[in-house]
Amino acid sequence: MGIDVGLIFQIAGVGIVIAFINTLLEQINKKEYSQWVTLFGFIYILFMVAQILEQLFTKIKSVFLFQ
Amino acid sequence: MIVKLIGASLILIVCTVIGFEISSRYRQRPKQIRQFRTALQALEAEIMFGHIPLKEASIRLSKQLPSPINQFFDHFSRLLDISDIQVKTAWNNSLENITGFTDLKKSDIEILSQFGETLGKHDRYQQQKQIKLTMAHLEREEDEALDLQGKYEKMVKNLGFLIGLLIIILLI
Repeated sequence: MGIDVGLIFQIAGVGIVIAFINTLLEQINKKEYSQWVTLFGFIYILFMVAQILEQLFTKIKSVFLFQ
Repeated sequence: MIVKLIGASLILIVCTVIGFEISSRYRQRPKQIRQFRTALQALEAEIMFGHIPLKEASIRLSKQLPSPINQFFDHFSRLLDISDIQVKTAWNNSLENITGFTDLKKSDIEILSQFGETLGKHDRYQQQKQIKLTMAHLEREEDEALDLQGKYEKMVKNLGFLIGLLIIILLI
């Protein structure tokens, strides 16, 4: 569980920083850049979440399928 | 843990410093354009009322003006000491010499070098007209530079810090 808490904080940090960058870029009317930044942040977090979900699935498999 | 902390703070400091550096470029440009305008105004006064040769006028200007611009006039006056050099060449050469340590853009340099083409070719009144024209051009550039400064200076500062923070979070 210890690792998971750190990961959650990491996701939250990425979210906050990207939100800040987003508002900054939108203030100077660079909407296209801000959209790209959001997209990349989203993809990065998605990958992290996918990794955690993969761990979860292997754990479930190991519990129910006795592997 | 300590190593991590030191590395993180180093990344943060470096990114913030880079941000400040870029934002200072935005801050310096209108300032330097204004300094060049004052220089041209002083040059006009020297030519129109002082009747002083260009070399001595530029020596005087190099003593009067603040730091990055005075090096330009210093270099220019020293080049004019060389016997068979055209004023135009000396002017352009001095301009190239200062492009490294000023934050002027290509368009600003271009305006100044076009002014250099006319320097020393006409009589005093024509020269005054050319100076007025160049000053009008520079004023336009300064307005644009001020506009850019207001737009980007703060943004770049914050962006440097935030990108540093982002890198740290991604690497942890």
